[in-house]
Amino acid sequence: MMPLRSRTYTACSGCSLCLLSCPVWRNTHDIRLTPHGRAKAMQHGATAIDLAESLDSCTLCGACEPACPESIDLVGMVTGLRGELALQREATPPFDGVLPAPTGNISPPTMLIAEQSMSDNPGLLRSIIEQLGGDVAVSVSSDSGTDISIALSDGLPIPAERLEHFLAPLRTTLRVIVADGRLFYALKNWLHGVTIASLGEALSALPQVRSKLSDGDLYVIESVAFHRDHERLISHYDSLRLASGCSMNLDLQRMAVPTTASARAHGREFVEEQVRWILQGRAPTRIVVEDLADIPAFQRVADVPVIHVGALL
Amino acid sequence: MDIPVIDIGNLPADPVAPDALLGIKRQQTNPKRWNEPVWADFATALTAAGVELIEQKFVTGTFATDAGGTAYGLPHGVVIAKDAAQISTLMSTAQRYRVPVTVRGGGLTTEGESVAFGGVLLDMTGMSRVLSIDAANLTVRTQAGIFWHSLAEVLRRENLDYLSAPLNMTSSVGGTIGVGGIDVNSARLGCSADQAIALQVVTPTGEIVECSDTQNTALFERMILGYGQFGVITEATLKVRPYQPIAMHYFYYTSLATAIEDLQMLDANDASDYSGILTMMDKVVNLLVAFDSDEREAAFKVDWLHRLRGHGELGISLRMGLYYALRPWRMREALYLRERKNTLFPEFRRPEHTRSGKMTDRTVVFSRAVWKHWGSRQMVIPDLATSSEKFIDATLKGNAVCKKYFRYYTLYCVGIKLRPEHTAHYEMSCIPPDAVTRAYGCEFEPMMGDLNAEDCYSRDTLQSFKNEIYDIGVGIGASYYRFGGMMKGYIRRVFGDEVVDRHLAMKRKADPNMILNRDVVF
Ligand code: SF4
Ligand code: SF4
Repeated sequence: MMPLRSRTYTACSGCSLCLLSCPVWRNTHDIRLTPHGRAKAMQHGATAIDLAESLDSCTLCGACEPACPESIDLVGMVTGLRGELALQREATPPFDGVLPAPTGNISPPTMLIAEQSMSDNPGLLRSIIEQLGGDVAVSVSSDSGTDISIALSDGLPIPAERLEHFLAPLRTTLRVIVADGRLFYALKNWLHGVTIASLGEALSALPQVRSKLSDGDLYVIESVAFHRDHERLISHYDSLRLASGCSMNLDLQRMAVPTTASARAHGREFVEEQVRWILQGRAPTRIVVEDLADIPAFQRVADVPVIHVGALL
Repeated sequence: MDIPVIDIGNLPADPVAPDALLGIKRQQTNPKRWNEPVWADFATALTAAGVELIEQKFVTGTFATDAGGTAYGLPHGVVIAKDAAQISTLMSTAQRYRVPVTVRGGGLTTEGESVAFGGVLLDMTGMSRVLSIDAANLTVRTQAGIFWHSLAEVLRRENLDYLSAPLNMTSSVGGTIGVGGIDVNSARLGCSADQAIALQVVTPTGEIVECSDTQNTALFERMILGYGQFGVITEATLKVRPYQPIAMHYFYYTSLATAIEDLQMLDANDASDYSGILTMMDKVVNLLVAFDSDEREAAFKVDWLHRLRGHGELGISLRMGLYYALRPWRMREALYLRERKNTLFPEFRRPEHTRSGKMTDRTVVFSRAVWKHWGSRQMVIPDLATSSEKFIDATLKGNAVCKKYFRYYTLYCVGIKLRPEHTAHYEMSCIPPDAVTRAYGCEFEPMMGDLNAEDCYSRDTLQSFKNEIYDIGVGIGASYYRFGGMMKGYIRRVFGDEVVDRHLAMKRKADPNMILNRDVVF
């Protein structure tokens, strides 16, 4: 059997299903800026330079991938081409040669890779650690892998030494919980024998967290990790929705509508438009987000409390 | 001269029926490519008028074919629709320079109708915004390039739903209004085109006109089901309804005729809200019946259920088991059916689309199933649209043709309620002239494999298959959902010269240089 999403642009039939949940399509209605447009253009000889605007516009939210009936690696297609583009643009890699300090205590069975912004918010980080079982259960990686995440998004090579430095402590644990959706998928490929979970999934699986959600809540799933493991996570979130009665940023296909706040592709206006679309026809009394970057995005538009799922308790 | 002996190798059987083309002259099915020197002047004038014309090959190539995948053509340039004013400029400029304009929505035509053989390809999906929803009067005003699925996304936020739409999520509203749009509730609510209350149209000469049953009625008559010949639909006002999850019931038959009789019995008695037939060849015929409300479902159970002659899943499994046990040489077919059942049935019951036993997102469920499990990525779906009376005969004849050509195929049958006040709209359309209150449609779809697979068929085979199906229509007096493009040779044969000439005269008047969707119908 062909592994999931192993196919390339040549398999594109032009069905347009990838457009239906794509935030860029929603905001531009320009087929050139969609997986359909890119794949068909490549079938007709387009190069990375020809597709530069299209490649820059993609938020890497991944909503197109589960929709594609041809199982094309649509996100990989963008990052691969971005890599080619970066070479031609002579882009500066995000690596400065300085390796992060090693993580101290790595004896607990779970390692949490928090984003930089989360580490800047010690109260929230502490609350998350407590929910996940406290210091005996979880250690926090001192290496957030932000530079690696950027390299992954831009299709840039990751120096072997840097990658090994990032992965070595993770190999010694049983479970890795990661906040950054882009790292989530890469870690699944890099670390075998270690369970990888997104922070959103890990927290929302906890009974004490579930019990704090109710039908007035709008729960905002982090889209990148969700779409990368869609077939499995769809049942996780469906059961959460059933149990709590909360609404979610899911569309009719059960793709997560992204705010795109943590993507670097678009400006504030685009993000606000996405937030307005998520809120359209909904009147939540509270918004609970998995991605920290979504808090200011919702606060700018909505008039209700916006909290991180880690702050629910 | 030595002529080498060529090993025919593993070429698949190519069952071109020797009599498939009897009634129709072999003709070039794709039109000649338009390629006039005036293009350069046109492009300059259009760009000067502020319309972006995209001429890069990798963009024009994006639109090289349609869902049918048998017609290929390249436009000289692509215009992504922005608004009516831009399309008006395009049409008036194209008329001045006699440049053909081919309009494309979701590109779900099957006969090359949305493929541009030169000239401009107008990509209507650029106009995909919902403009306003009137929840009190249950209407929506939308740009016409929008996919039905995207419209449903917006409507659902207001707890509303469209009335009927094609099972395919990426059909566009404008394209569907031009040809029909059949849903599993069409026996009750009519085709999608009949849901349109008013349209904004850019005429082939560039005027922007609002039309409806009361305003510019002649244009409205020709825009509904008019195969895109008389204007570009830029906006549409459609009826909508409150959203309801639906309760599904499936009944399985081994006889196509019995299943159709039961379908028509239910439709004639308004016994269900949704009804249709989907088959695995003619071996397993699935009559699907569904309800918007518990009351309607309860009434069905009391009044009609006992009259249906289909079986449940267990009953059909036992029957099929016995059938194939007695025919072990057909084991391969039995395994195919079992494999198909195992992949298809769970798709209709995905838990995330089911609540309290009801299907919550029928459009997503059906459309996913269509894309993943019906036919192939190349849609070859000739159809027959007939009056109620002729439908069983037409379907059985079509089924026999399918059997002759393909190992595996599927049929989709559904009723279409007609609106007597729209009789004028139905002339020279998919609605057969002898249908009174309800028409019926059947699509015949081969299950095809990927290139080099055993169930891969040549273009000639597929064309011959379509011809044989369409010949049935000529013989019994039917119509077709897809009579344009490669199948336009049938137009005069089914509609007659008088009707076609009258429509041609109207077209010439509306579109003096015959530039809009050229060669699709006329
Ligand atoms: S990753 Fe997201 S933004 Fe990029 S093409 Fe796919 S759906 Fe669109
Ligand atoms: S969903 Fe996949 S096959 Fe369909 S148009 Fe998009 S990329 Fe192509």
